[in-house]
Amino acid sequence: MLFKKLAQALIALVVAAAWLPIAAFSAEYHHIHIAAPSPIEAVRWYADRLDCVPLAAPSNSVNCQGVEVIFAAQPVLGGSQGTGVNHIGFSFPDLEAKMAELERAGVGGRGVRLQRFEDGSTLRDVPGLFKVGFIFDPWGTLIELVEDPDRLGFHHVHMSSADPESTLDWYEDLFGGERASLKGQIDGLRFGNYWLLVAEHSEGAPAPTARRTLDHVGFIVDDLDAFANAMRAQGVTFEQAPTVPANARSDARRAFLIAPDRVRLAVVESGWSGVVADVESNLETLEPLEAYNVPQTPWGEPDLQGMWTGDAAHGIPLERPVDTAEIAELSPEEAAARRERGTLASIWGYEREWRDTTLGYSKWDPLTQVAMIIDPPDGRLPPMAPGAQEILAAARAERGPPGSQAGPEDMSSWVRCITQGLPSMMTPGVYNNGLQIVQGPGFVAIQKEMIHETRVISTDARARAGSGIAQWLGEPRGWWEGDTLVVETTNFNGRVPYRGSGVNMKLTERFTRVGPEMLEYMFTIEDPTIWTQPWTAAFPFVKDDELYEIVEYACHEGNYAMPNILNGARAAEREAEQVAN
Amino acid sequence: MTHSFRGVTAGAVALMALTLITNASLAQGVAASEFPRAWDGHPDLNGVWQAIGTAHWDIQDHPASAGPTEFGAIGAVPPGAGVVVGNEIPYQPWALAQKASNAANRYTEDPEVKCYLPGVPRATYLPYPFQIIQGTDKIVIVYGFAEANRTIHMDKENPEPAPIDTWMGRSHGVWEGDTLVVDAAGFNGLSWFDRAGNFASDALRVTERYTPLGPNALLYEATIEDPDVFTDSWTMRMPLYRRLEDDARVLEFKCVEYAEELLYGHLRAQPVED
Repeated sequence: MLFKKLAQALIALVVAAAWLPIAAFSAEYHHIHIAAPSPIEAVRWYADRLDCVPLAAPSNSVNCQGVEVIFAAQPVLGGSQGTGVNHIGFSFPDLEAKMAELERAGVGGRGVRLQRFEDGSTLRDVPGLFKVGFIFDPWGTLIELVEDPDRLGFHHVHMSSADPESTLDWYEDLFGGERASLKGQIDGLRFGNYWLLVAEHSEGAPAPTARRTLDHVGFIVDDLDAFANAMRAQGVTFEQAPTVPANARSDARRAFLIAPDRVRLAVVESGWSGVVADVESNLETLEPLEAYNVPQTPWGEPDLQGMWTGDAAHGIPLERPVDTAEIAELSPEEAAARRERGTLASIWGYEREWRDTTLGYSKWDPLTQVAMIIDPPDGRLPPMAPGAQEILAAARAERGPPGSQAGPEDMSSWVRCITQGLPSMMTPGVYNNGLQIVQGPGFVAIQKEMIHETRVISTDARARAGSGIAQWLGEPRGWWEGDTLVVETTNFNGRVPYRGSGVNMKLTERFTRVGPEMLEYMFTIEDPTIWTQPWTAAFPFVKDDELYEIVEYACHEGNYAMPNILNGARAAEREAEQVAN
Repeated sequence: MTHSFRGVTAGAVALMALTLITNASLAQGVAASEFPRAWDGHPDLNGVWQAIGTAHWDIQDHPASAGPTEFGAIGAVPPGAGVVVGNEIPYQPWALAQKASNAANRYTEDPEVKCYLPGVPRATYLPYPFQIIQGTDKIVIVYGFAEANRTIHMDKENPEPAPIDTWMGRSHGVWEGDTLVVDAAGFNGLSWFDRAGNFASDALRVTERYTPLGPNALLYEATIEDPDVFTDSWTMRMPLYRRLEDDARVLEFKCVEYAEELLYGHLRAQPVED
């Protein structure tokens, strides 16, 4: 052990001597970047719960006793645990009082979730150290609260590494952290008044922080060019070279790099004062702001059960229309007109009265959300990958023009009553938007009325089906992240592609109850063969246990369209033949 | 024949004793105490289950018989003991003739051939696994065949009439001791019971009983009432077995495309060549 440490120290010394005559760019913490669907709400939460001070500008950040916490409306693909930044720490003079205060705020929703120790208590006095407790912010960031009178307010960043010692070395050598021991108990680094601590990652390698709730940690350096050169000499990859972003508030530059343990770091230079962020999240208007406690099933899982419908979301386009650029949301009148247009375009032949009464359209006001896509932030699908156009063209060519269907295979799998596929079966249509959720311990059944498909999702770790069993709806694997059901689906048979994405699609869905009658649904699609980057869309389901009941949609059994379309195509052929003769 | 099952009891030693036990003792739920319990103390039916036998071919006693010759032995009908208690089905005379006609045309007329929803109780003993998800107010059963599924409403005081007749009907459940009793009605009368052409009308009412037999088995009973087709009620009875594989699951069997040639082949521009 001693030899190993000595060897490491020697290597570090040699490396430092070779590449960094003066180690230490004395970097300081600058900010913690947290992804939250609603930055406004996040500012409020950090101000109310952790005594941070909202900054007038930018309005999407708070100052936590010298370190900024910046919130951005970007999709959250999971909490901080499991990544290279396990949690951040705040120190309070009277932790017992603080924990009691937070406990009174209630759990779930926009309240405070407390992590209890095995004996049920919320804080523990660690001998020789101080009192500690753990909470989560509503977006899944783990926060350690400590009672360290030597440093109050923002206290530390706690990293998680497969090799803590080398991670400490890296930040010491390259960022100029000062080796120190916290209360003589924990080895770490000091950056000014704040700590950087590293714990050993328990299982395998930590997950990337990027796109999780704690997306990255920001440092500030005096000379960004010299720093970048030194980093490159170390073989560090920059996600983004030092640049003045288009929406920057100053001429100062920022760079992104990936540190050990797949931790994303931002490094800014002096004078940096943030970017102009789009603080108006699409979801802001949809969520009740008061604290909401997600109910639990009797066996202790978040309870999503009930009858939900996507009716209120019908008409929201996937992509932001060009004429709505810079519009945060539609007016109720515009939303009503939009739904009317959408409905008429789909079922123009149906009687309006039948639609409004039988379909129950008048029950829910249409939502004013402008578009479903929330990432990229412009609400548009990302650029297509090279070769994607060819894949789409080939798919189009396979299907002949309307009226010439030679057989059932020339029609979509929906017309054939096989499936709408994913995510199409989840997005709202003109009718039959009922979505019933029933849960058993470790299982969630999601029943969609159109066309009577049920997805059964296991939330326990279990063996994957072999890749030889590709399915129309792929193979789902679920888990709970806080109150959110996360479902990751792969192994699609590719026969019902979504905008060209088939066998290579990875679909990650997130179901979160944000109020008694609202289920936020967010889905992310990754398919590098079709799009150059993953994209995320969101819309809510609304609960309707009283009035809505799923009725059997026996699609194939009553598929008169199929023989009629084929009969029509044959009749057209006969007619053409007669004309020719 | 009499209807008995071979139950297996494992001793503390490796020796296993095969014991013939009676229907009565089965119905009472042998070793029901070993059955997993749900949060509310009722049996926990969550899991993947499957009937084993030949009831999907014929719910009555049947010897082996030939199938379509082009499929050789694969297409032949295996022999099997029936699942109908007493073996006889009390058809009205016209209905018995209809059953015979159904049987004669089964390779084109059976709803299963067309990938139609199988109805109740047929969905239970088709040769596919099914999964029970036992929620707090509803129980959902997802069947392997044709994406069939049904909701058993556990939260209604009295069975409500079905809003419309359907293939899978409308189901209400109650617990009678350790037995889940499901009242299913509101059927459209288009389903068959098996590939032998046994059938009912839209007056069908099925009372199903799911009773624990041991940690990994249920006794399934379905009492059939249909005054338009039968002269009396009658009952099917069979065990259901838990699928014990670690990764037991109901895989997709979206069978529509396998029935399209049968249903729409005559409407193709060009016939499909063999």
